[in-house]
Amino acid sequence: MAEIPLSLAEKTFILHGIDADFRNDGRSRTHYRCMELETKLMDQVHGSARLRIGNTDVLVGVKVEIDTPYPDSPGDGKLEFFVDCSANATPSFEGRGGENLANEISNVLALAYQSPDAMDLTQLSILPHKKCWKLFVDILILECGGNLFDAVAIAVKAALYSTEIPKVKCATLDGGEADIALSDDTYESVKLDTTNFPILVSLYKIGDSCVVDPTSEEEMCSSASIVISVMPNGRISSIVKMGYGSVHPTTLSKTLDMGTKVGIELNNEIISALKREDELGLNREIIGFLR
Amino acid sequence: MPNDSKRINGPDATVPYSIYTNLNSESSELLIKNQLQFRVDKRKHNEFRKMFIRIGVVSQAKGSAYVEMGQTRVICSVFDPREIPNKAQYSTQGELFCEFKFAPFASCKRKGHQQDAEEKEYSLIMQRALEPAVCRHEFPNFQVDIYALVLDNDGSALSTAIMAASLALANASVPMFGIVTAVTVVIYDDLFIIDPTYKEEALCLKTIKKLKPVNHGIIMQAMLSQHDQISEFFLTGSMDINFVNSSIDILSKTSNEIYPVLQEALRKSILKMIKKKNQQEK
Repeated sequence: MAEIPLSLAEKTFILHGIDADFRNDGRSRTHYRCMELETKLMDQVHGSARLRIGNTDVLVGVKVEIDTPYPDSPGDGKLEFFVDCSANATPSFEGRGGENLANEISNVLALAYQSPDAMDLTQLSILPHKKCWKLFVDILILECGGNLFDAVAIAVKAALYSTEIPKVKCATLDGGEADIALSDDTYESVKLDTTNFPILVSLYKIGDSCVVDPTSEEEMCSSASIVISVMPNGRISSIVKMGYGSVHPTTLSKTLDMGTKVGIELNNEIISALKREDELGLNREIIGFLR
Repeated sequence: MPNDSKRINGPDATVPYSIYTNLNSESSELLIKNQLQFRVDKRKHNEFRKMFIRIGVVSQAKGSAYVEMGQTRVICSVFDPREIPNKAQYSTQGELFCEFKFAPFASCKRKGHQQDAEEKEYSLIMQRALEPAVCRHEFPNFQVDIYALVLDNDGSALSTAIMAASLALANASVPMFGIVTAVTVVIYDDLFIIDPTYKEEALCLKTIKKLKPVNHGIIMQAMLSQHDQISEFFLTGSMDINFVNSSIDILSKTSNEIYPVLQEALRKSILKMIKKKNQQEK
């Protein structure tokens, strides 16, 4: 991640602030920064979202294509995540510099959406054994100001929420070959069932306590972080530890409880924000990204 | 294994024949639970398999270990510290480079020679599990290479590889804070099954769609037992938070049980080394 040089005094200042539950920017330990979220802002994709939280800017596009299902799960569709850490965000991402981080983020996302409780892949099936939809979720990191995992996951959830898959009018087997006809009306489309889509909450251990949504300065003070993917119903679909440090078992369970609580709240907020945006209708003004 | 894009990986359009054998067998929740309730090897749910450990098996490596956990077999070797390649800046902390690989014939489905996404992910998990255990400030600007190869995968391959790697690191005299023990548990409904076999792992991730979600998933926890610190926690599946919390206790307890086994294996290997040295002096 982007390395910011911090002196010992600066680190101590941040640490003491967090101990007193009063951070540099006035937030408490469980508070997120203000977010800007917008969906359906790109023309060439089936679903898109852009999220800005603090100085972190993420753009997500979802493309839909037709593919053949995997032989061991013939009734399922496919979902794939690709993360691109653009060198625009930080010079350290240049060349293959961002590759490790990008792999890490796409792995964690894939794990979070792996369980059928979180994402039911059967809704992407067209003809079992023959044809299915494949969702390409492309994530572009435009600016990097801390808390990438949470930002990416929220943007992905919003983009999938806005995704419209063309309606299949008829799908039949014609002499063993799949024959698919899509609706002539381009506005006729199917939406994904996003009720259980998870989001990621990363909790950074700084000093003796954990914080959510750290700035890049706060990230530099943390030796270990826990990334939890929480579904709206409070269930956990994946947990990964990041960073070079270790944690005590009781700290871990306390952290997990805190993460779940924050995750449920955040999920509710995101869903209500997306619904409010929907109510604005098709003619709303599009703000765009990097503004 | 060097990354050679020209290497012929064999036809990739093939499928395992097993998908044609169980096409008609309807899998239900009850059936899975029944299969998990009574384990094939008659173990209790909180019992781990018999371990076999041998340290210093690879003569060319600085340190190495071979660990068997039931039918799961992992060999791991550690090489001398070397300067971090392609790095301009000086780093005050040494680095660990981990490579986790399944042998092509280790699993049910044949794996390619190059690392796939799962193996890359496991490599990173291994690295994060071992980093807190190694005194990295002792070798600044150097990296230690750790290669783990799973020869036979019968479940809990990742946790076995982590244990093998920590023993190999100790065998290579890399300064460490402690030995890392790692344990896998699978969860299905209200069952906690320690040290699962390949089949038990697969059963817990089997996709069944129904109205009420059932707890299922795999948790791997790596731990520094003597310091009571968790160095890596990795969960996939879908479960209630209370289950995660209670599994931390179960995993920590099992880690504490495994720790003396690893310690004893290390002690034996050192005694053997001293004996050999004494004989040479005579």
